Amino acid sequence: MNVHDYVENVKSGNIDVVEYIENVLEEAERINSAYNYYTTICSDLAIGLAKMVKNNPKGKLAGVPVSVKDCICVKGVETTSSSDILKGYKPVFHATVVQKLINEGAIIIGKTVQDEFGFGSFSVNVGKSFKVPLNPVDPLRSCGGSSGGAAGVAAKSNLVHLSLAESTGGSIACPSSFCGVNGFTPTYGNVSRYGLIDYGSSLDKIGVIGKDLNGVELMFDVIKGHDANDSTSIEHINEKKEITKVAVIKSAFDVDDKVKSIVEKKLSDIEYDEIELPLTKKYSLSSYSIIAMAEASTNLAKFCGMRYGAQPDITMPYNEQFTKVRSNNLGKETKRRIIIGTFARMSGYRDAYYIKALKVRQAIINEYKKTFKTYDALISPTMPILPPLLKNIENLNPLDIYKMDQLTVGVNLAGLPHLSSNAGYFEGLPVGMMVVGNHFNDNAIFDYVRKTW
Amino acid sequence: MVNNIKIGLEIHCQLNTKSKLFCGCENKANEEPNTLTCPVCLGHPGAKPVLNKQAVMKALKVALAMNCQINPAMVFSRKSYFFPDLPNNFQVTQYEFPLAGKGFFDGITIKRLHIEEDPGKLIHKAGYVLVDYNRSGVPLIEIVTEPELTSADRAKEFLRNLIWTLEYLDVYERESESSLRCDVNISINNGSRVEVKNVNGMNDVKRVIEYEVERQQQHQAVQETRGWDSEKGITYQMRTKENEDDYGYITEPNLPMFEISNELMDNIKVDLAELPLEKIKKYIKDFGLSLNDAEVIASDKGVAELFEKVSMHVNPVRAAKWIRQELVRHLSLNKVKLNNITFNSKEFIKLLKLFFEKKITDKVAKDIMKKLIKDSSFNVEKYIKDNSLTAVSDESEIESLCDSVISSNPKAVEDYKSGQENALNFLMGQVMKLSKGKASPDIAKEILKRKINK
Amino acid sequence: MKIDKNVMQKIAKNARLELTEEEVNEFLPQLNDVLEYFSILNEFKEDIEPAFHPISIKNVYRGDIVEPSLSPSEALSNAKNKKDNYFKGPKVLK
Repeated sequence: MNVHDYVENVKSGNIDVVEYIENVLEEAERINSAYNYYTTICSDLAIGLAKMVKNNPKGKLAGVPVSVKDCICVKGVETTSSSDILKGYKPVFHATVVQKLINEGAIIIGKTVQDEFGFGSFSVNVGKSFKVPLNPVDPLRSCGGSSGGAAGVAAKSNLVHLSLAESTGGSIACPSSFCGVNGFTPTYGNVSRYGLIDYGSSLDKIGVIGKDLNGVELMFDVIKGHDANDSTSIEHINEKKEITKVAVIKSAFDVDDKVKSIVEKKLSDIEYDEIELPLTKKYSLSSYSIIAMAEASTNLAKFCGMRYGAQPDITMPYNEQFTKVRSNNLGKETKRRIIIGTFARMSGYRDAYYIKALKVRQAIINEYKKTFKTYDALISPTMPILPPLLKNIENLNPLDIYKMDQLTVGVNLAGLPHLSSNAGYFEGLPVGMMVVGNHFNDNAIFDYVRKTW
Repeated sequence: MVNNIKIGLEIHCQLNTKSKLFCGCENKANEEPNTLTCPVCLGHPGAKPVLNKQAVMKALKVALAMNCQINPAMVFSRKSYFFPDLPNNFQVTQYEFPLAGKGFFDGITIKRLHIEEDPGKLIHKAGYVLVDYNRSGVPLIEIVTEPELTSADRAKEFLRNLIWTLEYLDVYERESESSLRCDVNISINNGSRVEVKNVNGMNDVKRVIEYEVERQQQHQAVQETRGWDSEKGITYQMRTKENEDDYGYITEPNLPMFEISNELMDNIKVDLAELPLEKIKKYIKDFGLSLNDAEVIASDKGVAELFEKVSMHVNPVRAAKWIRQELVRHLSLNKVKLNNITFNSKEFIKLLKLFFEKKITDKVAKDIMKKLIKDSSFNVEKYIKDNSLTAVSDESEIESLCDSVISSNPKAVEDYKSGQENALNFLMGQVMKLSKGKASPDIAKEILKRKINK
Repeated sequence: MKIDKNVMQKIAKNARLELTEEEVNEFLPQLNDVLEYFSILNEFKEDIEPAFHPISIKNVYRGDIVEPSLSPSEALSNAKNKKDNYFKGPKVLK
């Protein structure tokens, strides 16, 4: 059943939403025991919300089961960004997006696992007390990351499900591609970040993952809009410009032949021009990584064993105590990124790295904006490879892994809206293709994909 | 002999906004611990800052009063260091793009002026600290001077003049010594520069400088950061240059940039042409006020404005003295600011006139003043008339009052005769009481003396 | 630009991380690989304004209005180390 039909059935009383949610929770437990998508399943909250919807079946998402990526705050529900350092943390407030979903009748089912704080492309960098999620198509393979749990559960659920996810450099598109579902990343500032645990605050965007494209758009429409609690959220009057002229980025096809073959087949019915984005190609990964890690290294400073999360007994002076808590509770990739990010902003280096990266970002934005004067959308494969085997990931070094994001970091750096949808399967493994639109032309992307896919 | 003392100040001053810099928690001192906090000022994961416009307006007012160059736009930055009072382990401040650059005030060059957030407050215990985040996120301005101050006394004077100006601009209230904190840079004889951190209030700044000048004469200064123990009156080493954290500034990505537009500047309604220091000079020179009266009156905008109106109608010297001794004292005891109430200056002028012409007594004048503060529609003349409060200066009337007081207080009369001057004050009090405060004290005193000495 | 063990330890200390000998040995070549890759930015010579955000955002304020704070019990609800409505933290050497 698609989301719109389900909501109609809930509103008309054809579906008993409490019973349905009980089934959803049962399914969630079952899937989770095999695939590890959830960090927490919040049955009490879900049933409570379902009863409210049953009594008053209203709202654009009346009764729709929704999972929330672990980095987004749900009041009273353990929220950790899948990090041991936030174990036990129960927010005293709902993220704005969560509040908006509840206001429209959505049912919060649980929190989905991710790479710790969003640091990864395969969801293998989870804290020690969390389990790595497995690909819904082949459990020996990765779900992608960092919103691995969100994409996995969206793909694997037979009952209606939409996932709230988050992307800093590709964390919605990548797992959506690997799990064969739709993942939409809005324009930066179009959806409030209030209540999102910061990774790179000038890059973070909350978006939606789901099997049902119309459902994904419906949920995006619910969560978007200005929020007075987020200074970078934008009040934007929606002036949708229809996508008619598209271009594909030529060098983005320097990927695994298997991926290339599927995407090219999909493109055979579409009219397009071929273009290049030389600055984006050359600089975006460096610029993105430096900005994201520099911001992350300050965003994560607050985690020091005081006030919330992991809080061992106080036995040492503050420097030693903070160092102990952080060293014991942060994962390896997190430490690596904190170190790179701290280095990039230290005096003596910050001009060459951090400030330079910000200038390069402007040049990349300019390059995209210029392209959007001629074209309405850009198309490329989402990921350069098929979902990898988990055992093979261990052999990759960090730089190789960072390079996996080469096709997604540019658009994320420029804050452009993009939708990754399934283009087909290679020997049963999903391949994603990505449509990128101009700033704030988010909804036109859905129209285009509906029309041409 | 020490010559060539160079002192620079980094002054952190709390702005008197209603709410904090980045959240809606109340900006208020001396409350129960952790009652004025929220996810933003506690550094909860996911919370985000939103800038208080009033804090910018107040800071801008100060920058204009310091004759600073206002930058076209400002950007907040994160200054990273770890400390238990700092919820995010970075302070949101301004770095490359402050609100204002070079200026001058009271003969000293101002290097820059920017806005930043206050950390929480620590209480030190054996083996741990207690943290109260009520202060976390209170707006501060930081004013940095060039090292042009040359003595402890001059530094104190500079700060006093600054405080007057800040109070006059209604951006600052001297609630506690810690509402104005300084980092003091001191070097002598072109030696190394020593920075003493976190000195509360202008009196301690003076003590720190005196102590450091003495210490640096005995021990060659090295470039270092020192702390100040106010109780013991000593500075102590905190850290040397090599041990300093690298602050690793980045721009605060959760806040946009802020343009300092002409529109924003136009909204500043203070006449910056005549600030307290200019007013003090004018009051002394043009009106003949004492230094003390001039300083007290000029440092409060509401009081200064009132005085300037009053001075056109009554003797300014007498008015100034009475305003300082009675009005200002009463206002500050009751924590009322003239600017925050509607005060009827026309009625106040009538009141002063009647008092100076001895139509009413000092006591009656003070009572009326209190009523006038509470009620702007209060009518002085009608009140005096309705309650027949006109001073009694008719000698025969006062004589009969005195007679009755003398006859009913024989002991006090004897005491006075035997040389106890206090007894006369007691008798005077009785006369005033009997007259309901209306008897002219000068005449009553004369009559009492005359009658008892008979 | 290559960093050595000392520089890495200095960065780690600044970030309040203690790295084991094993971590140092693992991270050092990885970080140098990454930094070498980043050095491509040196080829970018254009002097343009830095982009603090992907889109242009400016002048977002709130009014000076007092809003309700958390109660102390809410504020301290996630704290394990606390006393008399204060948070407890590690000591600061004077």
